[in-house]
Amino acid sequence: MARAAPTEERTIVSASAPDTREWRWSFGIGLGILALIALVPLLGSQTALSLWTFIAMYIVLAQSWNFIGGYTGYPAFGNVAFFGIGAYTIALILQRGIPYLLGLGLAVAIAAVFALIVGLPVLRLRGHYFAIATLGVAEALGEFAASKDIGGPSGEIFLNPPPINYRISNVLFFYAFLGLALVTLLITVWLTRSRMGYALVAIRENELAAEALGIPTYWYKVSAFVLSAAPTALAGGLFAYWQLAFEASGEGGAFDVNISVTMILMAFLGGAGTILGPMLGAIIIEYLDQYTSIAFPAFHGPLLGALIVLVTIFLPQGLIRLVRELMRSPAGVKLSYTTRFKQGVRRVTRFIASNGV
Amino acid sequence: MSHASSRPMASEPAASGATPALELDHITKRFGGLPAVDDLSFSVHPGETLGVIGPNGAGKSTVIGLVGGAIAPTRGAIRFQGRDITRMTPHQRAQLGIARTFQIAQPFAGLDVHENVIVGALFGGRLRTRSEAARVADEVLERTGLRAKARLKGDELTVADRKRLEMARALALRPRLLLLDEVMAGLTPYEVEQAVRLIRDINQSGVTVVVVEHIMKAIQGVSDRVLVIHFGKRIAEGTPQQVLSDPKVIEAYLGERYARERQAQAQPQANEGDAERAARGEGDI
Repeated sequence: MARAAPTEERTIVSASAPDTREWRWSFGIGLGILALIALVPLLGSQTALSLWTFIAMYIVLAQSWNFIGGYTGYPAFGNVAFFGIGAYTIALILQRGIPYLLGLGLAVAIAAVFALIVGLPVLRLRGHYFAIATLGVAEALGEFAASKDIGGPSGEIFLNPPPINYRISNVLFFYAFLGLALVTLLITVWLTRSRMGYALVAIRENELAAEALGIPTYWYKVSAFVLSAAPTALAGGLFAYWQLAFEASGEGGAFDVNISVTMILMAFLGGAGTILGPMLGAIIIEYLDQYTSIAFPAFHGPLLGALIVLVTIFLPQGLIRLVRELMRSPAGVKLSYTTRFKQGVRRVTRFIASNGV
Repeated sequence: MSHASSRPMASEPAASGATPALELDHITKRFGGLPAVDDLSFSVHPGETLGVIGPNGAGKSTVIGLVGGAIAPTRGAIRFQGRDITRMTPHQRAQLGIARTFQIAQPFAGLDVHENVIVGALFGGRLRTRSEAARVADEVLERTGLRAKARLKGDELTVADRKRLEMARALALRPRLLLLDEVMAGLTPYEVEQAVRLIRDINQSGVTVVVVEHIMKAIQGVSDRVLVIHFGKRIAEGTPQQVLSDPKVIEAYLGERYARERQAQAQPQANEGDAERAARGEGDI
């Protein structure tokens, strides 16, 4: 490495390739956003704190989904299963008087093992079949929790609040979710730079070729599934002790299929398989959701449905890729930002038009 | 051509006792009762370039799939450098040094050409870091003439460049055995010439090569030995010249009637004609 070998003069791509700079930008912006969110408790409003705690939670869920759904390209529709496992593990743990932190560790371990056991058969499926199978597993778990009367008669859980002032505990839960969001962001950034990240993206882009080039695709898929499960379960464990009361399935349940749908929509709106996409999507959708539920209660219900339709028609590649497409300059040509922008607009209109609108 | 003619042109595996680089031992593959490959046995010597030809549907691509591991044989065994690899997954074979290309190019559509090749170097090429892999990728792109296209995405390439990318990715594995599945189909004569030169160059650097092609012309410039298969069975084997003048081969390609006519025509000066063609090193199928 000390001296440039003759061959290095002909090196096509220098160490600071565009993508290398891009991850730095994404990482920096991501950290900046999390830092700004960290100031929310200073507002002193319990409503704002609750809203942004939910947002932080969904950042964690969308970023975790991104590992399997975004980078690996496997449309997991049942990630709420891991969330529910986390929540119910904590419920059972606390009801038996076992320390909370120990319970969180246990929740992660159980979810990871569950993801491994379920992933082994399910990750042999592809596309729709994989999506349906994961959905089925999550629904089955919710039904199991309800029918076995875990907690109350149909899976209801009521927990004793933490032995501290609720204002303090709310702030603590907020920072716990935010810390977890930071951890998942760090994992994402590491992933985009690592061997594993290359393997997952290769699987997404062409699994047949990935295998032929020496990538043990099956084991990487299972790893991505487990990697996706662990932070999701941790978020479920935080959710349980923060909310204190929840059900198995249905609206507000820890196994509610809407949670799966929401985290997927968030990742897609922002850009599945990008560093920043899930975070942006989570902020926008959760904010809109909470805002409309108060301001326009009638509009709130159809909002999620309308967003799904709009995103799939206009933004299947997400906001991040839209911006990237807008600012992309043709390889090797230097252009002013205005020209680039104009060309970008043309490309993007074509892109949307080719999508059937 | 000089290196090719200096090789032993035995039509049967050399009896030298050296372990073949690749050995197919009574391989059968049925797709729902229909045999694509039927009790086929052949071996490839280390450092050799074996051409495999046959009409459409002969089972050529199935052979590549069987050796690469994408297709599991119904019966039989496959050995690589004496080691049984019949039960190995494609990625294990890739890591052993078996690289393959796909007849229908399979680029990583969303990744650019450079990254496509880096993936090969990182995994099959077993490099630890991205910068090492990037250096190998640079070399490979230079060699395959894709250097100027390094920043284009996999799905932005022309057919010829996709074929080049298939080769480039396979080379990034730094293979010991290279399986090429119709990399020259659909190329212009000039591009074929380039590809032939590249394959010879790869072979001379010590890589054993199996070239599958539909067109004889493309294969005779590179192959030390040619295997002709039809309905999954071997119908001829030998030097390109021997195989070209084999009536069974002509029949398989062009139909029985043409073969009879041709033979009748060639009959009077058959010996001279064959010798002359062999000397010129060309054929006209």
